[in-house]
Amino acid sequence: MMSRATRWALAGVGTVGVVGVGRLVARRRRRHQPERQDGWYVVRRGITVDRPRDAVIGFWTDRERLDRALAEWATLERIDGDRWRCVAADPAGGGTAWQAEITVEGPGLLRWTVVDGPVRQEGRVELVDAPQDRGTEIRAELRYRSGPVRRAFGLVGGDEPDLALRDTLRRVKSLVECGQIIDTRRDPSGRSERQERATDKVREKLTTGGRA
Amino acid sequence: MRALCWEGVGKLAVRDVPEPRIRAAGDIIVKVRASSVCGSDLHLINGYLPAMREGDVMGHEFMGEVVETGPGVQRLRVGDRVVVGSVVACGGCWYCRTEQFSLCDNSNPQPVLTEKLWGHSPAGILGYSHAAGGYAGSHAEYIRVPFGDVGAFPVPDGVPDDAAVFASDAMPTGWMAADFCGLKGGEVVAVWGAGAVGQMAARSAQILGAERVIVIDRLPERLATAAARLGVETIDYARTDVLEALREMTAGRGPDACIEAVGMESHDVGPTYAYDRVKQSARLQSDRPTSVRQAIMACRKGGTVSIVGVYAGLVDKFPLGAAMNKALVLRMGQMHAQRYIPMLLDRLAAGEIDPGYLATHPLPLDQGVRGYELFEKKRDGCLRTVLHPVG
Repeated sequence: MMSRATRWALAGVGTVGVVGVGRLVARRRRRHQPERQDGWYVVRRGITVDRPRDAVIGFWTDRERLDRALAEWATLERIDGDRWRCVAADPAGGGTAWQAEITVEGPGLLRWTVVDGPVRQEGRVELVDAPQDRGTEIRAELRYRSGPVRRAFGLVGGDEPDLALRDTLRRVKSLVECGQIIDTRRDPSGRSERQERATDKVREKLTTGGRA
Repeated sequence: MRALCWEGVGKLAVRDVPEPRIRAAGDIIVKVRASSVCGSDLHLINGYLPAMREGDVMGHEFMGEVVETGPGVQRLRVGDRVVVGSVVACGGCWYCRTEQFSLCDNSNPQPVLTEKLWGHSPAGILGYSHAAGGYAGSHAEYIRVPFGDVGAFPVPDGVPDDAAVFASDAMPTGWMAADFCGLKGGEVVAVWGAGAVGQMAARSAQILGAERVIVIDRLPERLATAAARLGVETIDYARTDVLEALREMTAGRGPDACIEAVGMESHDVGPTYAYDRVKQSARLQSDRPTSVRQAIMACRKGGTVSIVGVYAGLVDKFPLGAAMNKALVLRMGQMHAQRYIPMLLDRLAAGEIDPGYLATHPLPLDQGVRGYELFEKKRDGCLRTVLHPVG
């Protein structure tokens, strides 16, 4: 039979342990949270493309190449002088996911605002020369309206503006550097259709987000 | 078409699978003529790299004939007999431009897992799990090779298929291991592992100027083959204290360079090895670094340890203090196939390296399961099984 003193001691140790672990988890989670400003999340992501700045700008102004590059996932049309409308397709094939207005503000600087999408978001992209002949840094700042719970669900479900931004930066880099986005879905395998669908979900998890 | 597929931990089977198709302008389709098993496949089969999916086509070291090319392919023609580097490289990123092809930025479409594990994602590898891009492998009648112009190289006439196949992976891996050692001529180089990669590393070290090469393994037939084919000295670690033997053979100095060509399922004798096995089985460490530890301890002060055996995660009791205080140079990595293959094919054609003897067990694809069993259990003197999907 455990004495009362032992029970209290164990309860005390347990409580201290739980509180301690909770604090550590909270601190780690806070460290992983993006900056918040007036109800907006602000994330900054960047990727380095091994081409001079003019070549990266040239890629976006070569309309034919851009259309070919965007074919599978978005269309781009000019509204007027410096404004463009981008309509992205839902990767699952369910029609339009979002529409954005893109404004070119100068050489190597553009802004976008999502005008029709599930989450309000806006952002800016700046092209900066990378050091040591490493090409161009594409630096993006994304602001979007969301809350901690929605963000957590979004990150788990793979449907979150921050993840989409990282995917986009990686796609852009790949298109500029090697003219394609490599895809191994539908490569030969000995899987049944059901197994293939399950594997596609794993592929999606391993593709979405990443370190931009 | 027929293909050898992974069916779960420790299970393989030959299945009917769809044929590959050209998917991008730079793709080529290769009709596989020879496809070798590799020690690193065993890590995948046995579940040490946990990113395999049921039905994945195995195999990454192969050669064959180009049967179809995408509209963007310029360097290759249908009918070319080619060897393909197992590492996929886009040819357009900074890493490819600086010939560090196995670090390519764009060839792994599924980089999230490796970024979490390693901080960054290296290149994709054909037939090497979903951590390396989820590409279908070469133990099949046909394979799609992305960026064909970058990764496939015509094989010189007169070089047989079963020799050319090793220019895909074992030869460039061995060459890079020796290249890492920065040999200037006259060095003593020790090589852990007398498998295909270890033997190619030993041969490469000889070509690059090593005066003596000492190969360490426990399988008498592999050691005998290495001694007979390459003229190297050998140590059987199951019978001899390796560190003691190397000290004695080098009059106390230790080898100038130590090459580790074994990898994460490294074997040893004694209680430390038993402890490592238990920890690895319980997933308390992912890799067994027995031979890396020995290489670091054996290496002379200020020498180089070159690691080309495959490791995936965390190791225990890594002698960092020895490496630090002896001022060792540690170099390691997956091989940069595309940098070395053209040069190696020239050496193959000139007869300077002849890896054909490594293909001890040529078998039809339908006997792939048996081929891996022979290889893994090292039965019948098996050094490498090479599968032949067509005839």
